[in-house]
Amino acid sequence: MPPREDTLPKNTLTYFFREALRRMWVSKRTSFVAIAMIAMSLLIVGAFLLVAENLGRAVVRAEGKSRVNVFLAVDAPPAQISAVGNWLASHHDFAGTRFVSREVALARFKQSFSNLNDVVGQLDENPFPPSYECEVAPAVAQSPAFAAQAAALRALPGVDEVQFDWEWIEKLKKVINLVNVAGLIAGGLLAIAAAFTIANVIRLTMMLYRQEIEIMRLVGATEGMIRGPFLIEGVLQGLIGAAASILILLGAFLAGQHFLAPRNSLLWGFLFNGFLPWRKLLALLVGGMIAGYLGSWMSVRESGEEGP
Amino acid sequence: MIHFYHVTKQFDRYSTALHDVTFHIDKGEFVFLTGASGAGKSTMLKLILRQMQPTEGQVVVNGRNLKAMKRSHLPAFRREIGMVFQDFKLIERMTVFENLSFILTVLGLPPREHKKRVYSALRAVSLNHKMNAYPLQLSGGEQQRIAIARALINDPLVIVADEPTGNLDPNLTQEIIQIFSEANLRGSTVLIATHDRELIERSGRRVITLDHGRITDEKIATPQRAPRVEPLFGIGG
Repeated sequence: MPPREDTLPKNTLTYFFREALRRMWVSKRTSFVAIAMIAMSLLIVGAFLLVAENLGRAVVRAEGKSRVNVFLAVDAPPAQISAVGNWLASHHDFAGTRFVSREVALARFKQSFSNLNDVVGQLDENPFPPSYECEVAPAVAQSPAFAAQAAALRALPGVDEVQFDWEWIEKLKKVINLVNVAGLIAGGLLAIAAAFTIANVIRLTMMLYRQEIEIMRLVGATEGMIRGPFLIEGVLQGLIGAAASILILLGAFLAGQHFLAPRNSLLWGFLFNGFLPWRKLLALLVGGMIAGYLGSWMSVRESGEEGP
Repeated sequence: MIHFYHVTKQFDRYSTALHDVTFHIDKGEFVFLTGASGAGKSTMLKLILRQMQPTEGQVVVNGRNLKAMKRSHLPAFRREIGMVFQDFKLIERMTVFENLSFILTVLGLPPREHKKRVYSALRAVSLNHKMNAYPLQLSGGEQQRIAIARALINDPLVIVADEPTGNLDPNLTQEIIQIFSEANLRGSTVLIATHDRELIERSGRRVITLDHGRITDEKIATPQRAPRVEPLFGIGG
């Protein structure tokens, strides 16, 4: 029984890589187009992932604390302020209570939004109310008993508004999901387009090597042996494209962290907190390789010996 | 080893390359296939390599019915055949060494053995000094010898050659036939398509003659002696 066609000799992998690299070098321009397409699509996916990652980190930080802000009326008398402070101190679910005066609130705003300092400077008076900040354990915050306490707090004289972090955390989580979905859809569509570009590039290369492929078949090369270098070429184009997208993203991230974050600490600090973790970087690389493989597979599956 | 049973190959209604051809070549035989251009020699060789299928009849090579053979078994089958193509079919972008080494890669031989085997195959055709040349840098005759070296590199069971001496001078022709004879002695079955009548007559081998797609003659060639030269003016002899 002769060996099956898909039996490949042991030293073929070296041959595949050598041939794939050589063919990419010979068709530099077309390979560049394919790599650029993959890089562009993965750059968009990566950018969405990066935004979602940093928002996610902010959520994790906030969830650990579950802060409550009790804003008092701007004109609340000292007696009412201290009465609210005493109420918070007597209820143990509200831990680590800190008073934030109007002056401290203004100073914090100036620090966080330094680019708005000019606007703040034009104000006649300090618009920020005094407030209390306290921590509530996440488990406690979910209990029905706590809801009753929160209602009682809102009813205290001098209390203007009570804000719970978890309310905006929930909103932020929805935004993160939206960012992830948008990134995946946009990136996915572009990755498909990139795969088609790679398919066309590989098809062109196969046309270029048509005579050589025919000779290979006649001397007994298997279809795997013939197609292998083309598949590896697609995978390499995808890998290089993905690596390029990561490098561009990292460059943009470091530039943003260096130039934008210090000037507008809160917003940009929020977005430039950290780069993508290695698992997501690996996913981008694998995604690029899969897109490249699919592209070349689309081309090579059409090729085959003509005739019976 | 090679069996044709009532093989007909028709390309279209008006063009039939082979008509009801039947012949058998045993294992270890050395056979010439001859006939004028267009007689059907190349079609016959293409059928042996299963580059095409017969319209009617059966082709059996090394015990395999090529009509029934699965496409997935084709590469392994072709690796048992050393084919010398009329147009050489050398890969132009590869050096002579790479052209031959590629066959060994296909066969799965470790790269460390390639140099030794390629050198040995090229030495057999006296072209070991052209190892790093590209096919287009070689003459037609040299390219033909490279194609022969490639066909012989893996000691195939069957050697099929389409006009392998077409571009060679008489001395080189004899050298190449000698190489095929040695391969035949090592056990390869050899089938050579040629219209070189002189070469065939000298060989003393079996000859199948084709004419317009039909076998018109099958015989053992009788080696012809050089015509006797009468002594001139009674001197010599």
